[in-house]
Amino acid sequence: MKKNSFLRSPGARSVMASVISILIGLLAGSVLIWIVGLVSPTISAKGIWEGIRLVFAGLFSTGRNAAGALTFGFNPTNIGNMLFRATPLVLTGLSVAVAFKTGLFNIGAPGQYLAGTAASLFIGLGLSTGSGPLYDWLVAQGMAPAVIFPAWLVWTLAFLGGMLAGALWGAIPGLLKSLLNINEVLACIMTNWIAANLVTWMFDVSNLKNVIEGTKTGYIYKTTFNNVATSKMGLDKIFPNSQVNGGIIIAMALAVLVYIMLTRTTFGYQLKACGSNRFAARYAGINDKRNIVLSMAIAGALAGAAGSLYYLSGNTEFFWSTYQSLPAAGFNGIPVALLASNHPIGVVFTGIFMSMLDICGLQLTNLTAYNEYITDVIIAVIVYLSAFSLLIKMMLGRRRKAAAEAAADAQPAPQPDPQPDPQPAAAEAAPVQAAGEEENA
Amino acid sequence: MTTFFENLTSGSMVFLIRQTLIYAVPLMIVALAGVYAERSGIINLALEGIMIFGAFIGVLFVRLVQQWGWFQAVYDADNYLGLQGFMLLTMLVAAALGALFSMLLAFAAINLKADQTIGGTALNLMAPALVLFLVRLIANQNTLQMHTGDSASWFMLKKAMFGYGRTEQPGFLFDTFVNKVYPATYVCILIFVIMSIILYKTRFGLRLRSCGENPQASDSLGINVFRMRYAGVGISGALAGIGGFVYALTTTNCTANGDVAGFGFLALAVMIFGNWKPLGVAGAALLFGLFKCVAASYGSLYVLNGAGEKIFFLKDLGINTNFYRLLPYLITLIVLAFTSKSSRAPKAEGIPYDKGSR
Amino acid sequence: MNDVPQYVIEMLHITKEFPGIKANDDITLQLKKGEIHALLGENGAGKSTLMSVLFGLYQPEKGTIRKDGREVRINNPNDATALHIGMVHQHFKLIDVFTVLDNIILGAEDVGAMGFLKRKAARKKVRELSERYGLKVDLDAKIEDITVGMQQRVEILKMLYRDNEVLIFDEPTAVLTPQEIDELMQIMRGLAREGKSILFITHKLNEIMAVSDRVTVLRKGRYVGTVETAQTTKAELSRMMVGRPVQLEVEKDDATPGDAVLTVKELCVPSKLYKRDAVHNVSFTAHAGEILCIAGIDGNGQTDLVYALTGLEKPSSGSITLMGQDVSHASVNKRSEAGMSHIPEDRHKHGLVLDFTLEQNMVLQRFNEPRFQKAGFIRFDQVRSYAEELIEQYDVRSGQGAVTTVRSMSGGNQQKAIVAREIERDKPLIIAVQPTRGLDVGAIEYIHGQLVKQRDAGKAVLLVSLELDEVMNLSDRILVMYEGEIVGEFDPKQITVEELGLYMAGAKRQEAKA
Repeated sequence: MKKNSFLRSPGARSVMASVISILIGLLAGSVLIWIVGLVSPTISAKGIWEGIRLVFAGLFSTGRNAAGALTFGFNPTNIGNMLFRATPLVLTGLSVAVAFKTGLFNIGAPGQYLAGTAASLFIGLGLSTGSGPLYDWLVAQGMAPAVIFPAWLVWTLAFLGGMLAGALWGAIPGLLKSLLNINEVLACIMTNWIAANLVTWMFDVSNLKNVIEGTKTGYIYKTTFNNVATSKMGLDKIFPNSQVNGGIIIAMALAVLVYIMLTRTTFGYQLKACGSNRFAARYAGINDKRNIVLSMAIAGALAGAAGSLYYLSGNTEFFWSTYQSLPAAGFNGIPVALLASNHPIGVVFTGIFMSMLDICGLQLTNLTAYNEYITDVIIAVIVYLSAFSLLIKMMLGRRRKAAAEAAADAQPAPQPDPQPDPQPAAAEAAPVQAAGEEENA
Repeated sequence: MTTFFENLTSGSMVFLIRQTLIYAVPLMIVALAGVYAERSGIINLALEGIMIFGAFIGVLFVRLVQQWGWFQAVYDADNYLGLQGFMLLTMLVAAALGALFSMLLAFAAINLKADQTIGGTALNLMAPALVLFLVRLIANQNTLQMHTGDSASWFMLKKAMFGYGRTEQPGFLFDTFVNKVYPATYVCILIFVIMSIILYKTRFGLRLRSCGENPQASDSLGINVFRMRYAGVGISGALAGIGGFVYALTTTNCTANGDVAGFGFLALAVMIFGNWKPLGVAGAALLFGLFKCVAASYGSLYVLNGAGEKIFFLKDLGINTNFYRLLPYLITLIVLAFTSKSSRAPKAEGIPYDKGSR
Repeated sequence: MNDVPQYVIEMLHITKEFPGIKANDDITLQLKKGEIHALLGENGAGKSTLMSVLFGLYQPEKGTIRKDGREVRINNPNDATALHIGMVHQHFKLIDVFTVLDNIILGAEDVGAMGFLKRKAARKKVRELSERYGLKVDLDAKIEDITVGMQQRVEILKMLYRDNEVLIFDEPTAVLTPQEIDELMQIMRGLAREGKSILFITHKLNEIMAVSDRVTVLRKGRYVGTVETAQTTKAELSRMMVGRPVQLEVEKDDATPGDAVLTVKELCVPSKLYKRDAVHNVSFTAHAGEILCIAGIDGNGQTDLVYALTGLEKPSSGSITLMGQDVSHASVNKRSEAGMSHIPEDRHKHGLVLDFTLEQNMVLQRFNEPRFQKAGFIRFDQVRSYAEELIEQYDVRSGQGAVTTVRSMSGGNQQKAIVAREIERDKPLIIAVQPTRGLDVGAIEYIHGQLVKQRDAGKAVLLVSLELDEVMNLSDRILVMYEGEIVGEFDPKQITVEELGLYMAGAKRQEAKA
């Protein structure tokens, strides 16, 4: 038996709740496809059936055969792309999960993601490696960079810079919350939009806008223009023709690190104590205000890493005029974390699952009259369900508690506390509300 | 020599006021939507999503009804009263479906005692996804437009309607508040006023507000907290639906693309800035509308100097566009930092009401 | 038909059970029209339960309720209101941001067309009521801006606005200043004169003597008796309220107090709710080798005193010295290092992280000690063996031992875990607040034994308790706290429970010693 084997039963409950949420979500998506198919004059019954099959098994789609029927099979390109797209989702999911453990709702992941993206691109493109199209162009313009760095160093600095920028951006709502008791949700929303505008501004006045390729106005150079890209780590051999790179390995490693931090260190112990019961944490002399800031900074660093890895891949281009909309990758960290019950290792799986839905969506767009937004609908349904899956789990848990108590206590039933618990049970279950409570110390 | 007032009014003032109203009014009414929900005790983080949904429903309704032919005839006959009736009808439809959509939040938050923040986030994810999914199917592109014409030609007031000739210059007040104005703006202001009065002067409003402050007390006085909270969220959904459609009508030429540029979130900030009170909300919305307007068009704002030359006072400052764009958010954050001690959220907001815990 | 029933309310043979406890056991209460009837009893005597039954919040298992001689069923507060029964709850049911007028009319509004409020008419009616009964209120002030006394008058006006005839006051003086109490007494007399019948829940003997016509006394959920106030004495009432053979003798030798461990001087703590001190000028010293007990009825400032001593709240003035160090403004950690351990009053709120395991809770303050961590990594084997040691030694029972989630444990074992943790921290001062609340007899005996053992080991034990049995049995010295002040210091061998009851109920106080 492992140390945390006691988690098994609540863990199993969480997995069950998540599986149920996923199934209901997929079912809701199928129903939507069906209804739309019925209403639409252009979609046949066969089209509906194809749509539903792709929602469930789009990952294994291999296109259409000569007869026009959908074909399925092992598709390494799809799987490679899935892993590539999962990278930022896993990391923003981790970001939201860490904050949740401390009782905070990090809806600021999009802003932190942007901060990480910007810092990584500025460093990754700004420090010249002395090769690549950008260097050639600069030389041709007579602006050859004076200092040349090795590519691995640039990549490392860019990645760390991205994490740092995300951490700083995440710390702002944390500070506002702990010092001024401003609701972190609102502070996060504002910092998101400030980041969106700030990043646009920074790139607007930068010289990183793609002027080499005439068709790419509005985009920043790929980092490959500076010969900087995340190592493939051999994954391209396994999944040929896909965008996959070592980012997913790094994301998984970070998930393991977060897991170790939360379960093995005194720091993680403090974070969880604050998130689980702030009053008890204070009673025990744990500095809850400091932990709020640190937790948000770590969450920010992870979201920053998400943006950083996505754009350091080398085959993604950043559309710099972000001020009108926030990156979906940030918001999608919320369902990833909720679906994983905020378990760092679980986040890896749910992140990959969400990205699989993305792939399914692309197949829908490519192969049928439907489009990829159905997957976002499915994700939204899953989030909606997870809003009260906490309660469902607790109801399951309560029944077990009663049974466990009866078994544990051979003595006659003790008298109940004369006063019932001051908090309604629902409030205990929901970390966000606990965090929202007014409390001045 | 012209007077100062003439200098002022002959410059961009008309445009500035008109444009500020266009931004401020959706903010105002959606912030009031937030007030209704929160005053009943439910945090409505889904305002953005409901706006997106309302905008889509409104545009879709306009598009469908246009194809009906009847209103085309009204349009061709220049019957602008008929067209305004059409617009009112559309607002009604957007309100009804906004309310319906918000019931998802109400059910989760009130009956299932779910986490309201997560429930609201779910709706915020749901709305753009659903809208884009449907828009793509309907229009085969990412933006749903009117069937024919544009929103200005169908729904805007023009000086010609009041007998002014093409070259005639109407007076300042007429030019600012009638010419090139959407009556929808005034309808919204009217709704805002009526709903504010209801909140403060009627039994319903009194009871609704009590549920957001001390539902245990309300319950002990025989008030049905669940019903009041459903009403609060429903009205909130209706107002946000209207706000979404009016936003689409006046700022995006009556199109829907699953995005309202964060207006719903901004409305939340306006609500807090306005201290959950209608008058405060109106003031805050005007302020934010002004910022938004400046951000969108600071380059073309000018006043005339004594010699009749245009002075582009903001453009001449040489500050980057993006600065003006992030200003509303930055100021919100700063204002929150300074007012967080004195701001008074409804005490019971966000806490599920459990009849058992008296 | 002039056979007017003598009693406006009769509660006959009411029995109300909660799982494992009989809160009301065959209680009878009869209220005459126009009288002020006091309901007296200790904490947990069943007063609130009985009133909740009358107000429709609970349904009794047995017994009947009659209004004006007619049997009635009261299923919810609306039924009670329809029968013109009103209640001023101990915690006011007011909307802080509403005006006084809006609070009075809420739920009973007169409206005109389209649901518009008729505030003018309401204002007139409230004015009349307030003049008739001498209830001075500012109708346009907000509740949050007015005094607690005025808030209470608003609650009374709420009842009068609804034409209630039976008025229940649940501990109405708990939150009032002495002047406000006098005022309230006058108001109550006025109401009775005008024909209202009043039920007055209290444990303060002076007030009963001052205002009530008759008194019904409850003890441990049972009916003790009803007496005419004029024909009884405070001593008699105190005996009825607390008098009983003392149970649960704890075996212990006489204390041999040593050096001062904790010295508190003129400590004041502001109240969170009201504009007065929750703790006022409290001074005392706890010595090594003694159990010093702070006795008193709930809500007399004990909680605030403990928060200030343990660092959870800031005192406004005064000093706290622990083992020779001034810790008046020190953090929780500093106080812990200086030598304080704390068994908190609310084990769910402060004492435990319910979703943590037992072993995690056992090191709640100690996880940072080198024994339990290395370079920031928790030494799980050490935590485990330490927890198992404690579980064994203190007989903490749970489903899966050290890895049980604490939420799933019984209250008694949760409390044992806290006691084990706090004692094992081995600090010279143990502050134990209601350490046996809600526990069964076995657990109580065990915890009492442990506290005595700690005393014998030379520690200072500061026990805060509401249970008279516990106070009399366990303590070596008793301080009585009443309305935020220490009103007496006693040797438990030299004082009777009845005498102590008089101090706790504010009927007597010792002159301050020099």
